[in-house]
This record gives sequence, structure tokens and C-alpha cells, in this order.
Amino acid sequence: MAQMTGLLTYQGIPVWRHAQIIQWATQIVSGFLAVVLVLWFFLNIGGAIQDRNIPYGFSFLDREYQTPIGHHFLPYESSDSFLYAIGVAATNTVVVSIIGVILATALGIAIGVGRLSGNWIVSKLALAYVEFFRNVPLLVQLFFWFYIFLALPPVRDGFVFFESLHVNNAGVSVPWPVPPDVGMGLVWLALALAGVIAGIIVHRFLLRRETMTGKTSYPVIYGTLTTVGIGLVTWIALMATAGESPFVISYPEQQGTFFRIEGGFTAPAGLLALLIGLVMYTASFIAEIVRAGITSVGKGQTEAARALGLSNLGLLRHVTFPQALRVIIPPLISQFLNLTKNSSLAGAIGYSDLTNVAKTMTQTAPPVSIFILIMLSYLAMSLAYSLAGNLYNRYVRITGA
Amino acid sequence: MMTDNGDITTASVIAPPRSEVGVIGWLRTNLFSTWYDTTMTVISLVVVVWLMWFGLTWAFGDAEWRVIGTLGGQFIIGQFNTESACPGQNCFWRPQVGLLLATIVLGMAWGVAGGGTAKKVALAVAVVAAVMSLIPYSFERMGMDVRILLVANIPAVFLGLAITRYTPWREVKHVAIVGVASFLLTLFLLRGVEGLPGMHPVSVIHWGGLMLNVLLAVAGIVLSLPIGIGLALGRRSQLPVVKLLCVAFIEIFRGVPLITLLFMSQVLVPLAFPENFPQNSLFRAAVVITLFSSAYMAENIRGGLQALHPGQAEAARALGLSGWQITFLISLPQAIRNVIPAIVGQFIALFKDTSLVYIIGMLDVVEIGRAFIQGNPEYLPSARELFIFLAIVFWIFTYGMSYVSRRVEDHLRVGTR
Repeated sequence: MAQMTGLLTYQGIPVWRHAQIIQWATQIVSGFLAVVLVLWFFLNIGGAIQDRNIPYGFSFLDREYQTPIGHHFLPYESSDSFLYAIGVAATNTVVVSIIGVILATALGIAIGVGRLSGNWIVSKLALAYVEFFRNVPLLVQLFFWFYIFLALPPVRDGFVFFESLHVNNAGVSVPWPVPPDVGMGLVWLALALAGVIAGIIVHRFLLRRETMTGKTSYPVIYGTLTTVGIGLVTWIALMATAGESPFVISYPEQQGTFFRIEGGFTAPAGLLALLIGLVMYTASFIAEIVRAGITSVGKGQTEAARALGLSNLGLLRHVTFPQALRVIIPPLISQFLNLTKNSSLAGAIGYSDLTNVAKTMTQTAPPVSIFILIMLSYLAMSLAYSLAGNLYNRYVRITGA
Repeated sequence: MMTDNGDITTASVIAPPRSEVGVIGWLRTNLFSTWYDTTMTVISLVVVVWLMWFGLTWAFGDAEWRVIGTLGGQFIIGQFNTESACPGQNCFWRPQVGLLLATIVLGMAWGVAGGGTAKKVALAVAVVAAVMSLIPYSFERMGMDVRILLVANIPAVFLGLAITRYTPWREVKHVAIVGVASFLLTLFLLRGVEGLPGMHPVSVIHWGGLMLNVLLAVAGIVLSLPIGIGLALGRRSQLPVVKLLCVAFIEIFRGVPLITLLFMSQVLVPLAFPENFPQNSLFRAAVVITLFSSAYMAENIRGGLQALHPGQAEAARALGLSGWQITFLISLPQAIRNVIPAIVGQFIALFKDTSLVYIIGMLDVVEIGRAFIQGNPEYLPSARELFIFLAIVFWIFTYGMSYVSRRVEDHLRVGTR
């Protein structure tokens, strides 16, 4: 009763100006509205699915896809299931994005450093590159490269260099090492990995020795030698024991009445145009990030390094870059993500990436389920890049004082 | 010290050696400072000369620019004035009037800004439009009136200028009001109505060309900034529900390619509405592009807000400003000013992204060209010329935007240290 009277004779801040009440009201109203909106959207879609007899659910994943995929890095047959086909398409996107990221970073760093070059012509050329390639839509660039490939002569009259490099309007074919069987392929993969890891360990050990003792140790040279050496030794050992080369090099050759190219590795025109376009476009953004990172390193650092007698390259490699990396990494990761997402333009130039295959799949499978799957795939890729970036960022961060 | 003693006069100070100043000095420091530098210079020079020689001989020799002339005005308005879109009438004047309205708004912006970049932009647009009347178009049924309408862009700029000079409409908010009104009026003109002469309704699927890119970009730019600000504030909010909603929105839209979202909007969204509900694919695309851009905009603005020294908000609170006042009078203006390059970068990205509407079957300036090449294989060798032309068209717009942004930035930097 006393409480009631207290409520009735409430003399404090008016309700409509009471901060806590307003905050709670905002939260409840916005949360409620969002839930209602999302529910309305999906319930309506659910209703439409039932009314219009649109298929739904995920049972289609085990069914045979029955549609060819233009180009695939994993082995694929039309009789494979939908689930596997999505995996094949996702692999295409992942491979394109990894190759693209590596090449775009290399080109971007070169151009970003060129932007800061003391050489007037070099810096202006780099500026022209950046201003042109980042201001033109990627789609236009992709079409440009794609139609350049299409304008090449057909396979029958295509260019052949050294009897092994085929260039024609279907793409570019190069010789490719092929292991005799899957087991040997895995052995080579493991060896390559072991070689690279051993090379890195040697490099780090020598670099540490160089830093600690000042003794010149050539870490890059010895690291590379270790990697190459491991490969060479095992190759010779396998040759000696098995009596035959552990892998054969398959050369592309024109065959059959339609002059199809068999053997080797053929990168279709769509894939090449996609990679060239993505790399040149993304490199222009990376160049600006690299430039901003390098300019963020204090001038005193450069001057001190020069006073110590470091060469131009040594200055960049040992003083400027390690410090610039901290500024560069976060926006660089977001460029990697952009490259991955931009690879979804592949459909425009006929390359079968995840989005393009998913688009085709919606004709024979429930679109809602397909969309959920590809959204999850892209979100997973974003997360993977963010995670890798954050880990690396932690590694290059200034630790302690 | 020495001059104080009078031992050494200014005249006797030895001039720097000839090799360190002037043209020779500049060349020495900038091009030939070391053997390594000289090598780079020579290589770059060879590259530049070769590129220019190759580019020029190609552009004026082998290149087949016929495709540009064949498509002509379709690059600008798409299929808008074709027989199927606008049967038996000349509808070309409608986009033209839209352009006139835009130049009036630009003229008003010039008047309000008092010259500078706004003047340059307004005059450049008007002059380019007027010069276009001299180009022989391959438009069917294009009469003299269209050329007059194009030339009228020059007086239109001065009309806008006069409005700000001789009427009380001379503030930024008036430009904004006239701008929004003109945009809506343009949309109405383009859409048309049943029954009015010369206003035959044109379905949005016939809207195309550069006109479509610009319309989508303008709508996206105008709407994505406020939505982005709202999302950025929401993401920094202390209210957990609001924060969660904003984070979810931003991350979902940033995590998925725009092309996937556009495609989804065409397949999924119609399912959420009744079957006989009036559907408009262009409207859906505009909404998706705007929301996508807002998510990125929100992150840019959040960056600006985070970079702001907390002392600013604390000082404002100490002066007795309310939460809203702190946000809109102290924090946001400074945050936005600090991230103008990123915001304009996002505008440019949005303009470039408008070329993705091909996925929903709209014929924007890129798709018009590509579809033409695809449909007429005899033009296949001209694809290079076509896409170089399109690249230059986009480049002019996007470079113009970044130029304006740099000027605005310089202008706003006045008074900051």
C-alpha cells in the first residue's frame, strides 16, 4: 500500500527522461523489432515454400549433382554428390584466393616500395599504376583480360612455345609433374612440407646467430639450399632404389579431331583472367597500405640505420619492414578477405567458383539451403583469414617494454 | 656570428655548385643519384616510352573504336529510349531533364560553397553535357530538342547559382532539400505515368547505362552514410541488445560477397512477399547495395570514433552537454572529419560496385557493352577497345570523387593543428 502511494506520488525524474528506463525501453523495442522482422521474413519464406511447392531441406546433398563443373582442382565426376560438388567449388575459390593473395602481396609490396622510391620516374609509374587500377571496377578489368584471352587463336592454331607451353583461347597449358600413384604423391607432398620446414628452421637458426654474434651467416641462402637439398637427395635416393623417376612430367599435347589439349596442366582462360584481374586490382590497394605502413616508421629509424651503414635493401629488410608490418597487417588481412570475396565475380567470366556453382545449383536444389551453405562457407573463410591475421599480428606486436 | 664581425659578407658566401641546383641538380638527386638509381631510371624510361609508343600506335592505328560509336547513347541511358521501352514516343527528354535538375543542384552547391571545387565540378559537368550535344549519336528518334536540352545544362548551372544569390535559399540545407526533391522528381520522370503525353511508363528493367550506375550510386551514397553512422553508434553502444544487433548486421554483410547478396535478394526476398505483391528488382538491388555499403561505412566511422581522444567527450560532459549533444556536436563531426578519405573510398567502392547489377539482369554501362559483344561476335576483337573505354569512363568518375575528397579534406583541416 505504501509502495502504491509512493508510485502514485512519484516525484523523481520524469519517466520519459529517466536514463535507465529509456535504455531498457530501447533495448526491448529494438530487440523485439529485430526478432519480429527476422521471424516475419523466414516464416513468410517458409510459407511460400509450402504454398508454391518449392523444395527445401538438406536431403539433396547426397543426391548426384549431374552437372559438369567447368574447371576443378579436385577430381570431379557428374555422378558425384551435391555435397562433394560444393566442396569442389569451394576448393576452386580457396585455391584462387591463396594464389591471388600471394601474388597480390608480392606485387603490392613492390609497387608500394616503388611509390616511396627516391627515383622520380619509378615513384610516378607506381603512382599511375595505383591510381588507375584501384579506380576501375574489378568487373571491367576481369572482362578486359578475359576477352584478351578469347581473342587468341583457337587450340588448333594456338601458339606453342618450346613444344611445351601452349597458349590459345582455351587457356594456357604447361608441363606438370605427375606422381605415378596417389601414395607417391602424398610422399612428395610430405617431403616438400618437410623441406620447407627444415629450410625455415635453418634460416631462423642462422638469422639468430647473425643477430647474436654479428657473424655473417647468409640465412636466406642456406635456408633455400636446405629445402632444395632435401628434395634433391630424396629424388636421387628414390631413383636409385626404384630404378625409375619418382614422378613423370606430363607434357600438354594436342590430340583428337577437336585438337583438345591432353596432359600437362591447363589453366582455363577464365581462371587466368580471374587471377590476373584480382592480383592487379588488389595489388593497387596493398601498395597503398604498404606505403602508409612504411611512412609510419619514424624518420629517425631510417637515419639511424643509415648511420650504422646498412644498405638500401638491408635498411628495408631489417629496420623499416619489421616495424611497418605492425601497421600493415590488419588492413592487409582485410584486403585478403576482399580478394577472396571478389573472386565471386568469377561467374561473369565463366569460371566455376563457389558462387557460380551455387547459382547453377539453385536450378536443381532448394535455393534457401544453397544460400545458407555458401554464406556459411564465406563466413568460415573470413574467420580463417581473420584468425590467421590475428595470430600473425600477435607475433609481430611489440612485446614488453 | 661571422656576418656580425663583418669579415664575411653575404656576397662572399659561395653559391652551391651548379651540379646541385637547377635542372641538373634535380636530375642528379631524383634520377641519377647512384648507379642503381640510374639503372632503374633507364629501365623505367624504356618501359614508359615503349608503353606510350605501343599505346598510341595502337589507339590511333589498329584499334577499332567503332563499337563505341555503335553503342553510342546506349552507354548513357541504356535501353531507355528503345521502341520496346517507350513505344511510339520520344522518351529521351526525361533523363535529360533529370540531368538538368542535377546541374541546377550543382549550381546551387557552387553558390553555397562560394566557388572552389564545387564551381569546378558544376562547370565541368555542364560543359561535358553541352559538348555531348556535338557528338553524332546513333539514337533512334533523337530530335533537336535533345541537343537543346543538353546545351541547356550551362544556363542551368547559372540558374542554380542565381537561386542562391537572389533568393533566400542559400544554405546547405536548401541544397539538400532541392537535391533530394530533384532526385525523387527524376525517378518519377524516368518511371513515367499512364495517360500523360510523353510520360509513357518505362519499366525499371529498361533503365540502364551510366544513368543506372549514377542513380544507384547517388541513392547508396546518400543513404549509406546515415545508416552507417547509426550502425557505428549502435556498435559502440553500452546497451548489449543494440550492440549485438549492430555487430550481427555489420559482420553478416561484410562477410559475404556483394554478388552473393544481390543474387540472394533476387531469389529469396521475393519469397517473403505475397505472390501478387508488386516486385521491383531494381529497388531490391538498391537496398542491398546500400545496406552492404552501410556495413563498411559503419566500420570506417567506428574507426574515426575510436581514434578520438576520450578527453573530448569528457570535456563536453564537464560542460554539461547531454549524451546526444556530445555525440552529434562533439564526437561525430570530429570522427567523420578524420575518416573522410576512408568514407570517400567507400563511396568510390560503391560506385564501382554498381557494375555488379549485371547479376540481376540489369543493363548497366558495363553489361550493355558486354551483352552487345556477346550478341554480335563480329565485334569480339573490339572487346579490348570497349573495356578500355569503360575503364576510362569509370576512372574519370572515381578519380573525380577522390579529387573532391582531397579538396574537402584540405578545406576542413583549416583550424586543426
